[in-house]
Amino acid sequence: MRVVESIMAALIVISAVTFLYFFASTPSSQAHDTSELEKIGHNILHDVDEQRLLARYVYRSEWANITSALVVSLPTNVYFNLSIYDINHNPINHPLIQYGDQQVFSSSAAVASVTYILPGYKTSYNPRILVLKLVNG
Amino acid sequence: MDKMRLARERKGQFIIIAAMLLSIMIVSVSTVIYGTVTYYRQERWEEYVTIVDSVKTASSNLLQIGLANYTQTPNPNPNVLKDYFNQWIRDVRSAYPGYGVDLDYDLANGNRSAYGIIPPMNYSLGLTRRWNQSTSYVASNATVSINIASAGLTGYNFSSHVFLRMSIRDAKWYTGSGNWYVLIYVSVDKEGLEPVISLQASNFPSVKVKHLSGVAQRFTIKRYYSPPSAYNRFIYEIKVTSVTSTPSSIEVTLLDNRGIKTVSYTTSITQDGS
Repeated sequence: MRVVESIMAALIVISAVTFLYFFASTPSSQAHDTSELEKIGHNILHDVDEQRLLARYVYRSEWANITSALVVSLPTNVYFNLSIYDINHNPINHPLIQYGDQQVFSSSAAVASVTYILPGYKTSYNPRILVLKLVNG
Repeated sequence: MDKMRLARERKGQFIIIAAMLLSIMIVSVSTVIYGTVTYYRQERWEEYVTIVDSVKTASSNLLQIGLANYTQTPNPNPNVLKDYFNQWIRDVRSAYPGYGVDLDYDLANGNRSAYGIIPPMNYSLGLTRRWNQSTSYVASNATVSINIASAGLTGYNFSSHVFLRMSIRDAKWYTGSGNWYVLIYVSVDKEGLEPVISLQASNFPSVKVKHLSGVAQRFTIKRYYSPPSAYNRFIYEIKVTSVTSTPSSIEVTLLDNRGIKTVSYTTSITQDGS
């Protein structure tokens, strides 16, 4: 009889399937969350830019307006921190443009970061680099 | 008996060998499928897509800024777009360090037909303008190519153009009941032949009606949709008062909300005494 051989064959196939089950682990939810936040952050900056408001806020130092625009556009449980730099990476904005408990940024492992660039405003070429950091509160 | 046992043993070995082959096939196929499915996530395409999108939007904005500079400056620099794009290429590399972002550009040159404009728009270094006509326009046009070395992305091209046109459709001089004025009917559109409908009086920094005894410049403005029996489009009606003698020419200057300027001019003015 081939009972022993059949059992061994079954064990081999089961081992292969079990190996695959552990091997094919899905990506962590943190990585997924970060990707989603990046997408949301970029879309919001892009939308505000399309309305020709982003450049006005940045170049006229309308920090309260840009904070309000982001607070209104982002989900309530998402905290943000926006830094603006010139092309040599010197910080421009003061005070900080932020919302939510900023300690979450240092404690959370899933902080999304979006870099957005503005070339200038009206007739002047004078680039600004916007770095928007997002985290789920 | 021995022959039969040998044959049975061979059949048993065959089952094990078949199971091993099946296992190897399952593992191999699954590995390939898994690798294919998760490739998108591992490569973080979202990050590259946002960079491409950001650079694309900013490059289009750069065309606007260049055109605004070209049209607003009294002695315009014809190389303004070339200068801006050369600087832009260096600055984008600096803004995204480590990604290997590289840009190239091609500014429009020569005749290009668009928007039904006859003769075709004649570009030089990405810029063109025709002012002081009843229909005036300004435009900028460039093709930009993006390469991102870290993502293996090369030769992603897109064309951007910016356009602003103002047409003086009609101008009428009214002289009835001692209240002399000129009504100017103007339409404004931009790229995509989209009507510009958000203009205010402040977007017309200068409206001049030359007449025999001087130049009238005081005006009010209103916007409405003109029905198909008239102009069949959004019209800005500019009313210039104190035109006390026969008008000879009209000059309207427009500065849109993007900072792009154009100047229309006409000598075609009809008199309506009603």
